[in-house]
Amino acid sequence: MGYEVNLPFLEFTFTAWQILIVKLLVILTVVPVGALAGGYALHKELGHLQHRLGPMYAGGFHGWAQTLADGIKFIYKEDIIPASADKRVFTWAPAAIFVPVLMLFLVIPIDRSLIVEDLDVGIFYLLAIGSVGVIGTLMAGWASANKYALIGAVRGAAQLIAYELPIVLTAAAVAMLAGTLSIVGIVEAQDWPFLLWPPGLGFALFLVFLIGAIAEMNLPPFDMPVAESEIITGAFTEYSGMRFIFAFFFAEMGHIVAFSGIATTLFLGGYRPIVPWGPLEHIPGIIWFMGKLFFMFFLIIWIRFTFPRLREDQLQKLAWKYLIPVSLVLVLATGAWVLYAPESIWP
Amino acid sequence: MATTEDRFTETDDLTNQMSVENLATQEMVLNVGPQHPATHGVFRLLATIDGEILTDAEPVIGYMHRGYEKLVEARDYRQITNLVSRMDWLSGINNELPLALAIEQLMGLEVPPRAQYLRVILCEMNRILNHLMFFASFGAELGAITPTFYAFREREDIQRVMEDTTGGRMHFGFFRPGGLKEDVPRGFYASALAGVRQVIDRLPDYENLLVGNEIFKGRTIDVGVLDKQTAFNYGVSGPIARGSGIDMDVRKDEPYLVYDHFDWEVSTAPNGDCFDRFWVLVHEVVESAKIVEQAIEGIPSGPILGKVPRVVQIPEGEAYIRTENPLGELGFYLISDGDKKPYRMKIRTPSYNNVSCLPAVLRGTLVSDMIAILGSFFFVLGDIDR
Amino acid sequence: MPVTERVSAEDALERVRSALGDNVTELHVNHGHVDLVCDPAKLVDVVRTLRDADGLRFEFFTFLSAVDRTEFGGGDGEKAGGLEVLIHLYSPQYVAHVTLHVPVALEGSTCPSITDLFLGALWHERETHEMFGIDFEGHPKLVNLYLPEDFAGNPLRRSFKLPSRNIKEWPGAKDPEEAAAGGR
Repeated sequence: MGYEVNLPFLEFTFTAWQILIVKLLVILTVVPVGALAGGYALHKELGHLQHRLGPMYAGGFHGWAQTLADGIKFIYKEDIIPASADKRVFTWAPAAIFVPVLMLFLVIPIDRSLIVEDLDVGIFYLLAIGSVGVIGTLMAGWASANKYALIGAVRGAAQLIAYELPIVLTAAAVAMLAGTLSIVGIVEAQDWPFLLWPPGLGFALFLVFLIGAIAEMNLPPFDMPVAESEIITGAFTEYSGMRFIFAFFFAEMGHIVAFSGIATTLFLGGYRPIVPWGPLEHIPGIIWFMGKLFFMFFLIIWIRFTFPRLREDQLQKLAWKYLIPVSLVLVLATGAWVLYAPESIWP
Repeated sequence: MATTEDRFTETDDLTNQMSVENLATQEMVLNVGPQHPATHGVFRLLATIDGEILTDAEPVIGYMHRGYEKLVEARDYRQITNLVSRMDWLSGINNELPLALAIEQLMGLEVPPRAQYLRVILCEMNRILNHLMFFASFGAELGAITPTFYAFREREDIQRVMEDTTGGRMHFGFFRPGGLKEDVPRGFYASALAGVRQVIDRLPDYENLLVGNEIFKGRTIDVGVLDKQTAFNYGVSGPIARGSGIDMDVRKDEPYLVYDHFDWEVSTAPNGDCFDRFWVLVHEVVESAKIVEQAIEGIPSGPILGKVPRVVQIPEGEAYIRTENPLGELGFYLISDGDKKPYRMKIRTPSYNNVSCLPAVLRGTLVSDMIAILGSFFFVLGDIDR
Repeated sequence: MPVTERVSAEDALERVRSALGDNVTELHVNHGHVDLVCDPAKLVDVVRTLRDADGLRFEFFTFLSAVDRTEFGGGDGEKAGGLEVLIHLYSPQYVAHVTLHVPVALEGSTCPSITDLFLGALWHERETHEMFGIDFEGHPKLVNLYLPEDFAGNPLRRSFKLPSRNIKEWPGAKDPEEAAAGGR
């Protein structure tokens, strides 16, 4: 398979391999840059939520280079590996955490044609890859030879098992509504008003998905695996320098951006305008997508810094006693809607 | 909300089916501290945990022991003022007060009314500072870091008034035997009133942010229950005792200075859990603000230092003077043999007694609860180790 | 516990006298608090009575410490005494205070533990043990609280001199007279 470029000054054909490499390079650049930008947005939003200004000096204009400077500082930090750690596992754990986050971005459509790979089973792929990172967390926790790290890793694994289910079930309901597993297909199947249709059901699915996503990203109020006032940073207690930012900061930021993107695609209509109205259709899809993504990002950060942390048993109770039954009911309701709702009231 | 016992009974059936008792489990000793984010200082807790449940907890202290009780024996009384303000570094001026009172009582000094009023105002403002600090740190320990910054913003206004008055931000060194170091600066009343009124105005919002939050309630209600009898037995005082339904406040029971001139209430809560301790703490801020307002309204004019001999030399005798520190009962048992230095001074600090009952409260709780309990015991390391 | 009755120091003294009888050797009012001297052998009974007797109810444990009076009153030793354990209790119900002075031997000092009555004494007795070298019999775990396990000496005894002050006196002026005379 080839891809032909026909421009007056540029006329050649990419091979499949070349395309793949270009795409991977794009992902490898976009994700860290996105994480840095996300980190800056987080600092700023957090600052203004707390009556502060946030970073103001680095780089001159409103401290735009703050996260870049932080990143450089981390590069210069010493990479400490504890003497009793399992060195191979310890060194590879950050990669096992970070690479799945990168892979999430492969199937998120930024615009109608701006997608690395439109898989037929895109949503299935997203859910599968989204939970691989916990293997890295477990590796890190076990290899650190630290009790806090171990507790954090075990908490992380337990949490993933509990919150994976609501996410999968709500995503399945979305796929049922759209009638396809392809992400682009799901975006195309959605129409205005994205969340309110089917009545109430869409919004309920969105809420359950959001709670599950926040829990899976280990963000407050569900951040027990990294609860800094209890178990320091959980599985990453012993990490420092570059390993720490890859395992913790980049992975977390990448996760937030990726899940904001996924929520945008599944529930907010992705790259499509919020209202199907003439002039709005002319605004490029990438702007719609980024706007919606930023809204989701803002929402997640807002929640993150407002609520106190739940307790481990309360977290499990919330998942198994409330979220999972609710999402099962939602799946049933969606199925009933798809089967029995009269054709005329479909958008 | 489920207590630990409930959790056990709830899981009992499941446990039997899976015959977990056949699995080999092992207790693990988790060393919390001396450097740990939740201990606000070098405090160590040897926690024996079974899974996430604490089967035993042993506080280890002394990392900051500075031997004040020995040091004061080699210093004269004016030097001690600066020493004792470093015990509970969040409430420096409240630490200086009992020392000044003890010297005055043993020497029979008269303190002019204006100085007494100003002492009340400064002490209560310092109490607000201290309580807001713990308000901030408790939220942060439960994972809500935003209230921290709100509390710090309010603290800053009062802190500035204290700084303008005394020249210090933490260790004020402002109380002298017989009165104060100097009078308050111009504009003190207006800025102090503005500071405390702002706290009263904004506190309900902050309170709602935490106390009104369901997660916060879930984390604190019925967690770390300290019953009345245990509290008495350990000599627990201050907001922690009042959170266990003990209506005990030195300012009300044995009013010193001019506390009996003001109209205010002792805040108490009946259950003795983390939530009640926190609730009492927040409400004491409001009561303190009330006292400050009334004291500023009724302050007389006059000298700020009574007749004090040039050399502070205490006649032979001994007395125990206690005051209500923000964290509880702070008392000095001062023994003098007629010298310029104390012969012996036993310092009874509130955090010391309060923290000594931690093992009794912690046993059987979860690791996450341990953090909530540590946070709700409002202790300052310098006050424990002194 | 709300205050039910405010008892004056003299009334409290009478109540303590009638409750304890001849268990105490000395009883007087000092700065509004009841001061009593009691024998170590009778300490536990005395404290129990003070805690449980009606009309007294000294239920709040304030502190336990000790004082070494061997250098009391300067060098001549006229007023000097021995080692004594201090216990302060407070009655929240009647707003009364009592200070117990328990004389103990200077060498091989022992005193019965009151931890069975007041759990708060656990730490106070450990601290007094390391600072004064007093053994509290019946304490469940009498190990050092502040000091390292291998610390030699009992810091709060008068015989334990602060090393820095031993070598050099405090350099600054201690009072205005000295300052005027040229001290710093």
